[in-house]
Formats: sequence, C-alpha cells, structure tokens
Amino acid sequence: MAELKEIAKELLTSGTVAYIIGYASEKNDKTVPFIARTVEDAEKLVFTHHSVNNLSVYLKRIKKPESGKVGLVVKGCDLKAVVALIQESQSKREDIYIISPKCNTVVSDNTKPWNKDNIASKCLSCEVRTPSLFDATFGEIETVELPSDEQIELIKKVEAMSTSEKWEFWKNEFEKCVKCYACRQACPLCYCDQCIVDKASPRWIDSSATVQGNFAWNMIRAFHLSGRCIGCEECNRVCPVDIPLSLLNRKMSMFAVSEYDYKAGTSIEEPTLVGTYKLTDNEDFIK
Amino acid sequence: MAENSFEPKITAFVCNWCTYTGADLAGTSRLKQQTNARLIRLPCTGRIDPVFIMKAFQNGADGVLVSGCHPGDCHYNAGNFHARRRWAMFKEMMDFLGIDNKRLHFSWVSASEGKKWVDVIDGVINTVREQGPFTQYKDINKETEIPVK
Amino acid sequence: MKIGVFVCQCGENIGKTVDCVGVAKSCASIPGVAVSMEYKYMCSDPGQNLVKQAIADNGLDAVVVAACSPHMHEKTFRKAANGAGINPFLVEIANIREHVSWIHDDVPSGSLKATDLIRSAVEKVKNNAPLTTIKVPVTKRALVIGGGISGIQAALDIANAGYEVVLVEKEPSIGGHMSQLSETFPTLDCSQCILTPRMVEVYQHPKIKLLTYSEVEAVDGFIGNFKVKIRKKARSVIDEDCNGCGMCIQKCPTKKKAYSEFEEGMAFRPAIYVPFPQAVPNIPVIDRSVCTFYKTGKCKICETVCGRKAIDFMQEDTILEEEIGAIVVATGFKLYKITKPEPGSPYEGYGEYGYGEYKDVIDGLQFERMASASGPTAGEMKRPSDGKEPKKIVFIQCVGSRDESKGFSYCSKICCMYTAKHAMLYKHKVHDGEAYVFYMDIRSGGKMYEEFVRRGIEEDGAKYIRGRVSRLYEENGKIIVKGEDTLAGVPITIDADMVVLATAMVAQKEAPKLAQILGIPYDKHGFMSESHPKLKPVESSSGGIFLAGAANAPKDIPESVSMASAAAAKVMILFSSDILEREPVIAQVDESTCVGCFYCQKVCAYNAVERKEIKDRNGKLIKVVAYVNEGLCQGCGTCNATCPSKSVELIGFKDEQIFAQICALNEI
Repeated sequence: MAELKEIAKELLTSGTVAYIIGYASEKNDKTVPFIARTVEDAEKLVFTHHSVNNLSVYLKRIKKPESGKVGLVVKGCDLKAVVALIQESQSKREDIYIISPKCNTVVSDNTKPWNKDNIASKCLSCEVRTPSLFDATFGEIETVELPSDEQIELIKKVEAMSTSEKWEFWKNEFEKCVKCYACRQACPLCYCDQCIVDKASPRWIDSSATVQGNFAWNMIRAFHLSGRCIGCEECNRVCPVDIPLSLLNRKMSMFAVSEYDYKAGTSIEEPTLVGTYKLTDNEDFIK
Repeated sequence: MAENSFEPKITAFVCNWCTYTGADLAGTSRLKQQTNARLIRLPCTGRIDPVFIMKAFQNGADGVLVSGCHPGDCHYNAGNFHARRRWAMFKEMMDFLGIDNKRLHFSWVSASEGKKWVDVIDGVINTVREQGPFTQYKDINKETEIPVK
Repeated sequence: MKIGVFVCQCGENIGKTVDCVGVAKSCASIPGVAVSMEYKYMCSDPGQNLVKQAIADNGLDAVVVAACSPHMHEKTFRKAANGAGINPFLVEIANIREHVSWIHDDVPSGSLKATDLIRSAVEKVKNNAPLTTIKVPVTKRALVIGGGISGIQAALDIANAGYEVVLVEKEPSIGGHMSQLSETFPTLDCSQCILTPRMVEVYQHPKIKLLTYSEVEAVDGFIGNFKVKIRKKARSVIDEDCNGCGMCIQKCPTKKKAYSEFEEGMAFRPAIYVPFPQAVPNIPVIDRSVCTFYKTGKCKICETVCGRKAIDFMQEDTILEEEIGAIVVATGFKLYKITKPEPGSPYEGYGEYGYGEYKDVIDGLQFERMASASGPTAGEMKRPSDGKEPKKIVFIQCVGSRDESKGFSYCSKICCMYTAKHAMLYKHKVHDGEAYVFYMDIRSGGKMYEEFVRRGIEEDGAKYIRGRVSRLYEENGKIIVKGEDTLAGVPITIDADMVVLATAMVAQKEAPKLAQILGIPYDKHGFMSESHPKLKPVESSSGGIFLAGAANAPKDIPESVSMASAAAAKVMILFSSDILEREPVIAQVDESTCVGCFYCQKVCAYNAVERKEIKDRNGKLIKVVAYVNEGLCQGCGTCNATCPSKSVELIGFKDEQIFAQICALNEI
C-alpha cells in the first residue's frame, strides 16, 4: 500500500499524471472509486481485497487532461478492458498511466470480509494476477486458496438443458429485468453515445420492461459484447435484480476461445475478433 | 390443406448477388417449392444484422433462413466472411438462450445453384414445420406487464 | 405518402398461378396504398403508360410494381416512374414471378405469398428516400502496371485513343517474357522481331510516361480518382543523361559475378547492365549487390568511362505521385521453379525431375533462350553441361500443372503448344536428333494450333508418348528418363542428352501483395480474380481496375493481347465521359451518435471508411468519427450490420426499411 502511495505522489508531483483514478477506503473495509488530484489525496489511495470496481469504466468518454496523463489503478483482469478500449479507438495507450498491482483476488460481497468463501467468481479462473502491461506495479503475489468455480458448473448445467428448459431458465431471469441499464453503465465496453436500445427509429428493442423487451435487450447487449467482453463481471455485480449476466457473457467468451482461439483484451496489437475473419473460420453450421 | 395443419412462416434474409439470384434461377427453371418462405433482399450477407433475425422471431416468424454467396464468391469481397463469424456467435448464443437451432438456418447458395436453393428452402420449411409453431416467443409477447413475483 | 401498386400478370406467366385481380384488390387496403391495379404486361409500353397515368391521376409519391425479378425490370420501372415525376429510388419491385408464380402451383397460397411480398415492398417504400445518383469527376489518365506484351498493348491502345498513360514496369526494361522467346507458335515468327517495334513505340509515344525499374507502392482513392504512389528504384544511372552507348557495360570489371536474369541463368552479366540489347529504355542499371564499388568503395570505372557523367552512385529511390482515373493490371506470370520448395510455399518441388541438380535438365524458358539467335548459344543447340549438341531430347509436359497433389490444379494452357514448338525448333536445328514428348493430353484449342501440333508430329517427327515420367537420373553423361507409355501399356526408358520441363505458369510472387494494395480479390493461386467469369472477364471487382494477360490466369500471347485491348476499351469507355454516375447505395455515418470505435473501418473491404475529426469553433478536437468516402463505398452494408449503435447506415437498405419489411411479413 505504501508503494502505491509513493508511486502516486511521485506521479502527481512530477506532473506525469493530471490525476489518478484509484480506490479509497470507506467504512468496514469497503473501498470506493476515488480520484486523487493532489499529494494529500494520494495518501488516501488504497488497494485491498475490496478493490472490486473495474475503474477502466471511467475511461469511457473521458476528456484528455490539459497536461499529463490519466493515472489508472487497474487490476490485471480489468486491464483487459483498457486494452480493448485502445483496440477500439476509445483510448490511447500514451494517454494513460497504468498502475497495475499484483492482485491477490477481490471479494465477491463487498460488505463482508475477504475469505475463501467470499472471493469474486472472476478471480477463480484468473490468469493475470500478475499484470503483463503496466507503467508501474506494486504488491506481492500470495498463495490464495480458491473455492470451486460454480459459474462454470452452471454454464455446463444450462448447456445440458433441453431447449425449453434453457428458455424457461432465461425467461425467469430476464423477467426480473427492470431495464435500469446499470449493466450498461458499469460495463467499460458499453460506451456508445446512443445505445441501440435508445434508438427510436426503428425501435429494434422495446425499451419498456416487458418480457419481450427484456429478452431483446439482454440478448442484444450480450451479442454486442460477444467476442469483446473481457469478463470483469461488473454487469453481474451491479445488477439490482441479480440476473446472472456474466453467465451469458462468459459462455460467449468461452465460445470465442474454443471457436476462434481469441481472448478479448489480451493484446493491443492483436486484431479484434469482431471486424476480422479467417478464411478457415468454421462453417459447419452453414448448409 | 387440412384445416388444422400447421404452416410455418419463414423469413429468409438473402443477398442480392448470389442467393436472391439463385432463387430467381430456381424460378426461371420452374423448380417447384413450398410457399412458406418470404425473402428479404439485402445487398450482401454482410448487411444482415442479427437484430433482423431477432425481430423476425419476435414478430412471429417460425423459422429464419440466412443465405448468401459462398466464401470467396462475395460480390463485395469479404462481406460473407464477416457475416460468418457474426452468425456463428449469434447462433451459439441463441442456442444457449433456448431458441432452437432447428428454427435458425444458414446456407450458401450461389447464383447458379437454383436446385440447391430449392433443397435448402424446402428443407428449412420441413424442419420448422416439424418443430411446430414458435409459441415460446409469441407467448412472451402477450406478457406486456412486468410480472409480479 | 400515396403509393401505387401495379400487379403484372406477365401474360400467363404470373396470371396463371396468382390471382392477380384478387391480389391487387387486397393490396388496395394496405395503409398508404392509394391505387392498386393489375395489367397483362406492365413492362410493355401501354403498361408503363398505365403506371405513368396512375401517378399523374392520383398524385402518387411512390410506386410498387409486383412483377418479375428486380434484376429484370427494376430499371424499366424506375425510368417509367421518373418519367412521371417520381424519384427512381421511390420504386420498389415485388418479385411475384420468379419467387411466386413460377415455383408454386397452388393459387390461394401463391396469391397469399404475392400479397405478402407486395406488402413488404409497400412498407419498405414508405421508408425510402428520394436519392440522386452520385456524380464523380474522372481523371482521364491511366496507369498500366506491368510492361510485358499485355501492358504494352493496353498502354498503346489507351494512348492511341488520346489519353495519357503511366506505364510501370518493375524490371529495368519493358518486354516481359515475350522478349525472351525465340519464336512463337503457331506461326514461328520471331518473338523479338514482332515485339521490339511495339516497345519502341511505347518509348516514343508522347502520351506514355514510361517508368521502368519502378513499382506501385500505394493506391488510394477510387474509380476515376486514384492517387498512386510509385517507387522509382535507384538505377545509379541518371536517365536523362545516359545515351545508352554501353561503354560502362563493356568496361565493367565484374563480368561473371551475376547470372543474367534475361538469359535465365544460362549466361553472366556485369554489375552494370541492360537486360538485353534491345532493352527499352536502353539505360543500364547497377546491380548494387555485385558492384565492386558498393562492396569495397573502390572501382568507379563506369563513372570514369562515362562521357555523359550519367553514373550516380549516390542515387536514391524516389517516390512519384500520380493522379490516375483507371488502372490496368498486367503483371503477368512466372515459371514454377521446381528445384526445392520455396520457403513458406505450400508446394513441393519436383525433386525426381532433377531440375537444378542436373545441368542438362532445363525449363521451357531456358530452352527458349537456347533456341534464340540472340541467346547464350547464339541459337545453337548446346547442352549446358558440356556444350555438346544433344542428339536425344526429352520434353516433359505438365510439370506442376494439372497436379493437385504436388503442384497446381489448373492447366497452364500454353505448354502443349510451346512444347510442340520446342520439339520442332530442335528438329529444325538438329536434323538427326530425336525429340520425345511425354504428355498427359494434348490441348491445342486455338486457331491453327491443332494443325501446328500435328505438323510437329507428322512433318518434324516429334515422338509423343502419352504418360508420366516417374523418375530421371544421370548416368554416364546421359539423363536416364523412366516413364510409362500408357497407350502401349509398357514402361519406357530413354537415355536422353537433355531434358526440358514444361513447368507450370504461376502467379507473380508479389501478386497478392499488389492485389491487396489495389483492393482487388485474387484466387488461391495468386491470380487476380475477374468480376464475372463470363460477362466481366477483364473487370476486377473494384470499379476502375481492369485485368489483362496472365496476371488473371495462364494465357498465351494472342489471348493476352486481346484481353489487354479489351481492358483498354473499358478504360476508354470510362474516360469517354467527364462525370461518372453511380447508384447512391452507399453507407452514411450519423456523426452525432458515432463514437468512433471504427469497427466499420475494420470490416470495410474497400478502405472506404476514414477518420474524421470533429472540432468546435475554436478548433479544439471534440471527437473522431467515421466518415464514408462515397467514391470508394460499394454499398455492401457490412459496416451497418457491424455498428453497435447503428450510427452508420446503408442508404437504400437502412434499418428502418428492413425493419418495416420484417414487420410487414411477420405481423404479430
């Protein structure tokens, strides 16, 4: 933690960054997103098991500071969103100062203390606890005992269902949707100025919270993220009615890997899955 | 036609240069087909957005066919290659959400494949007919209120 | 909006299986339809007049014609409607012939389908907008890439029509493969004798700008308006100052350091050289990889002997930019080199034929040089190993061609003919020699071609053996050729003095790269693809880019010349008008909602999507959005489908139009 504060102070003092988007402590171990603009602010920056939020979301529509870069405290997992934003021309690498910690997993429930049974599901299959892309890094990797990955079990379970069972499963989930669009707000890659759901002519997606409209919204939201979703699971976390949105996202990410050997947000130079093709792409399903 | 027999409604999204022309050829060759399909002509399969498919199902289509030029034959060089990836992902997602893949079909039919067009479209119509009406989607249309749980 | 629906009976073609009267009647009740009628032949003059009259009488805003395929008569009805004051793009066709009456027998269900298709068209046309064709100016200046016979022909034709031509050739001289040939089939006239006057004509033509030792580096823009970057490679000789006296070449001390490309490696050339005596332009080039000066910093003999001070050791590549209206791609072919598989090549070599291993196994072009009076042996038959006259010679056809397992699936087309020619030339020079030809089939389609092959067999006594050669090896100064005579069904062994392999014609190695620069498709072999195999054989699928000669596929000289002239004619058609008109089906960006993710740019096959900076009144950058260059956009709409926020839409096939059609066909 002291390391982070030192890094932050140096960056702010030297003017390398205009400000740093990071985490600050709140009561009960919780952390909240915090913007450090001064050396005093830097003192407040923390990185703990409770640093859950994907702060790259703040890069959406960010204004470039008059001078200096934007400092961003970002975990290895969330860093993939930064990579994707750069790939999709939403950010420039040279405009961001990446401070990426070595991460020892974060909590699933931010109101309860971190322990073996309170670890975010995205951490369970994490391959980037040590980040590979950064301007500064800190912390040490510790061995963490992980519970089993229930999400992947659930994906397998849904896959094994009959068509009508799958439909019922999702219908029950999507019925709950109140179209609050928190999923969209929290997603670093949902950055359109005008979302397709807000487009009135034509109205592809019924914007009222009817089951049909909910189906359409959740389907198209997930489709627009297919091959792009980096699996930060923020949508899941913020959903007020607990729709397992990342179940669908993860399913599609797994498909991207199995079908196209593509992991979103891995490399800035890599061509994106959407927008490119290979002559050898599978077409067994096409008559 | 028996009164109770179910006749599926099929919407086919086809590209102008290959499949639409292939269907024209089937016509010129007087190759008989079932009457269930309605074609929507787009310039290229690249133009075919999955929301089209979603909307068709939403509005009551029992089955959807998407068809265009064979790989390498695209009038616009690469539209069908981009389409192919898009379809593969959409189809996978539809399946995961419980929309039967037997209702959503894809094919490559070139301008010279009138016979193939007939085989494809009749095959799609028959397969969808076996599935029966697509009631699942129609049923949720009725639920206009937020259900109280 | 007032819409007119016009249902054509097409005589009995539609009328027999579609209840046109009933259909017209039920379409009258579609909201927005002001008038709905049927007629026997809507495309006839009276039919068209009916449409025009109805437009005038009812004050129609848009028209739906239910008739044959839009591919048949869309233009007809657009024109008719336009004649009555309706924008041609407010006309939609419902295809009730090819897609209904001709494929269905059941009248009720067919008629229902016809009504559905008309409703779909009506709903679409409600969302159509009046459009005007796009007009772009035409730069009347052509670029011809490749200075072989195809490029030469195309350049001369275009230039003779009075248009400027820039001819780019990557080698130091134009002439291409034809300049290497000894005599040509089926007339046996001397290749250089008929070619060199054309080369000189190119050089002297006031309308042709000849750029040899140059390569196309980048092509931007679109039909009528290309911007082309050409790299003029450093020749180390100043073009304008050199008078081609050849003193430098004579005095160059590096005589035997490099094999002559022109002589196919059968002779040497100095470091400073012209490829062949009749080269155009007759300006030497220094091969820096072998020149003593570039290696040791000493020598400069050429500079000393050059009276014109034309040698410039410090010369650098220069980049020229040319404004071009149309491009002819005539980059030709090369021969499949079969010694060893080239790195990265998917093809195996023909090790069993010993090419590159045995000196007396040569390829067709090497034989051409040997038979040529200006060649390394002055036209005498002297085999490479010991210079002796070969008394027994074996020609092997289809080496690499028609061989999917080891080479190429296609037929190289010219080998049957040139092998017959080779056998003849050999027999004319070595009267007591024996010529054997191993062949798979004789393909001699073409004027006087079959007669030519027969002459080789009957008059000159070439011995044709149908079968493949399995192996050959060297033994006591002979090449032992083992094969099979499949007609006689016996194995056959020939102790030859020399073997000539008719290796496949393959695409130039750089062809795919050039095709990518030009944005035109090429096939899996690297040959440039034509737009339509029958009806558009010289057009590429990109507007304003045409193909000529063996860049497209293996071709002989007359075919290449015909194709070049055809391509030239296409260029002239393009240049015959000042303004180019094209359909306005192009993508358009809504800059207010575009967030600049540029997925549209990634999927665009035509590089039509550009980045546009939006600035406020103080010049401060607000955002970068996509911008569609309407000259480049071909209207596929892939960007439209890819755009998550639907900020780019394809005019003519906008989301609203398709949405309306889907809803019309699937009413809840």
